[in-house]
Amino acid sequence: MIDYFAKVLRAAWNTCKGLGLTLKYLFKPAITVHYPDEKLVPYERFRGALLFDAVTCISCNLCVKACPSTCIDLENATIPDPKNPQARKKVARVEWYSIDFGKCNFCRLCEESCPTKPKSVWHSLDYELVFFSRDEMVRCWKAGMSWVGQYWDRRAKQFKDPPGQVRIMEVDARR
Amino acid sequence: MSSTAEKTMKTDSMFINLGPQHPSTHGVLRVGLTIEGELITKAVPDIGYLHRGTSKLAEVRGYHHCVVLTDRWDYVAAMPNNLVFCLAAEKLMEVQAPPRAEALRVLMCELNRVASHLLFFGTYGIDIGAFTPFLYAFREREMILDLFEMACGARLTYNYIRLGGVMADVPPEWLAKCREFVDYFKPRIDEYDTLLTYNPIFMARTKEVGLIPAADAVSWSLSGANLRGSGVCYDVRKSDPYCGYERYSFDVPLGQTGSCWDRYFCRVQEMRQSIRIIEQVLGGLPEGPTMAAGVAKIPKPKPGEAYAHVEGARGDLGIFLVSDGQASPYRMHVRAPSFLNLAILQELLVGNKVSDVIAILGSIDIVLGEVDR
Repeated sequence: MIDYFAKVLRAAWNTCKGLGLTLKYLFKPAITVHYPDEKLVPYERFRGALLFDAVTCISCNLCVKACPSTCIDLENATIPDPKNPQARKKVARVEWYSIDFGKCNFCRLCEESCPTKPKSVWHSLDYELVFFSRDEMVRCWKAGMSWVGQYWDRRAKQFKDPPGQVRIMEVDARR
Repeated sequence: MSSTAEKTMKTDSMFINLGPQHPSTHGVLRVGLTIEGELITKAVPDIGYLHRGTSKLAEVRGYHHCVVLTDRWDYVAAMPNNLVFCLAAEKLMEVQAPPRAEALRVLMCELNRVASHLLFFGTYGIDIGAFTPFLYAFREREMILDLFEMACGARLTYNYIRLGGVMADVPPEWLAKCREFVDYFKPRIDEYDTLLTYNPIFMARTKEVGLIPAADAVSWSLSGANLRGSGVCYDVRKSDPYCGYERYSFDVPLGQTGSCWDRYFCRVQEMRQSIRIIEQVLGGLPEGPTMAAGVAKIPKPKPGEAYAHVEGARGDLGIFLVSDGQASPYRMHVRAPSFLNLAILQELLVGNKVSDVIAILGSIDIVLGEVDR
């Protein structure tokens, strides 16, 4: 009987000790942030959503080979061949470029393999990459499109801007 | 009790499923339990829900690509996965990582071990019914993940340790931030002891439960804290040092009886030892390059085979690689510690009560990504 109550007392005392520890933290500043209102800005090397610049790309195919999950696809731009009117000649520009974010590993191998300066494909700091449909996961770029790119809506049969993506850089930094 | 009463009191055996979507199985694991009343008479772990076939995928990918695959086995502690593949591939390619890269590898692996054990500490508390330690553990884990984010840009799937070295040197302000974390973290472990380790309620739930005798632990080929909790001193960092672990002084914490509490206690002590190693690495970080010269963009090692193993957060993690001279491995076999540790569950659960299943399963500390690969 005494043993039993001793046990109960010991458990209660230890619970109080634990509560005392948590009480200490009540008076310290919170470590959490109110997410949609204030946002943490990731570090410089953060691997967020991929961006692509169709102007600097030389269509060298190195990123396609570097990708472990073959999520990158591109096609060379061509111009009419002056020697042969029927054929077309490849140039060091990209006709279209696409990244399937459904397959992407976010491993940075494509960015590392890119030979241009500045990089044509690189990881942004955007961690709010959300998709509402499978169509949106395949991001396409063509000359004249922004770095974010557009997606092909199969039902509407047209390119559309990806919705619901908040640019992380527009939010005030906390640190 | 008379024999008639015994016959009438006998309960029917019942089959129940634990999982696959049970919050305490830490992933998708199904355990088929046959119970008689409260006692378990048979337990059959059913795995494979998270199978992605990475050993087969590796056979059609280049060596650099395989490092990305390794991140997805033990996603709680991915640095040792990267490391073990790179060690095996470097043996095949006859490349040696420079000293600074080796020190950074040790540093990252130990930080990751602390992060992984913190996750265990937090979730094991939740499994037993203590919610508070979880919040404290995740606060510190967040700091480690911040360090990783700063160094390599990812929080879980790092792809930081590469063939012949590491991805890049750490940013200049990283080392100061790491020291700051170490100083912050050391007194926190004592807080964990107050919150959970020596709490009589927690000890009553775990001290006499799930006993693994040392002989059983060896014959089921357990590794990591599960083996050391039974009092068997085996640590790859001591027995087969890699990346210069022989230069650092640290102890291997051992348990006594092999109970759930011993395994838990081993992990908490390992955090202290990891911090000791981190301090030593930070004290004597060599200067120099972080990537060996002469690593091909598309490596084609000479035909041959190599085995490398490291002490991952969950135990002895090994990789057997066979090369036939092509750009991708001919065969890759993974010795996944979680998979082998999980096997003992079918014997360990028998004779225990249903309420202890979660305590035992949690104490083995499996990651289903590594069990199923």
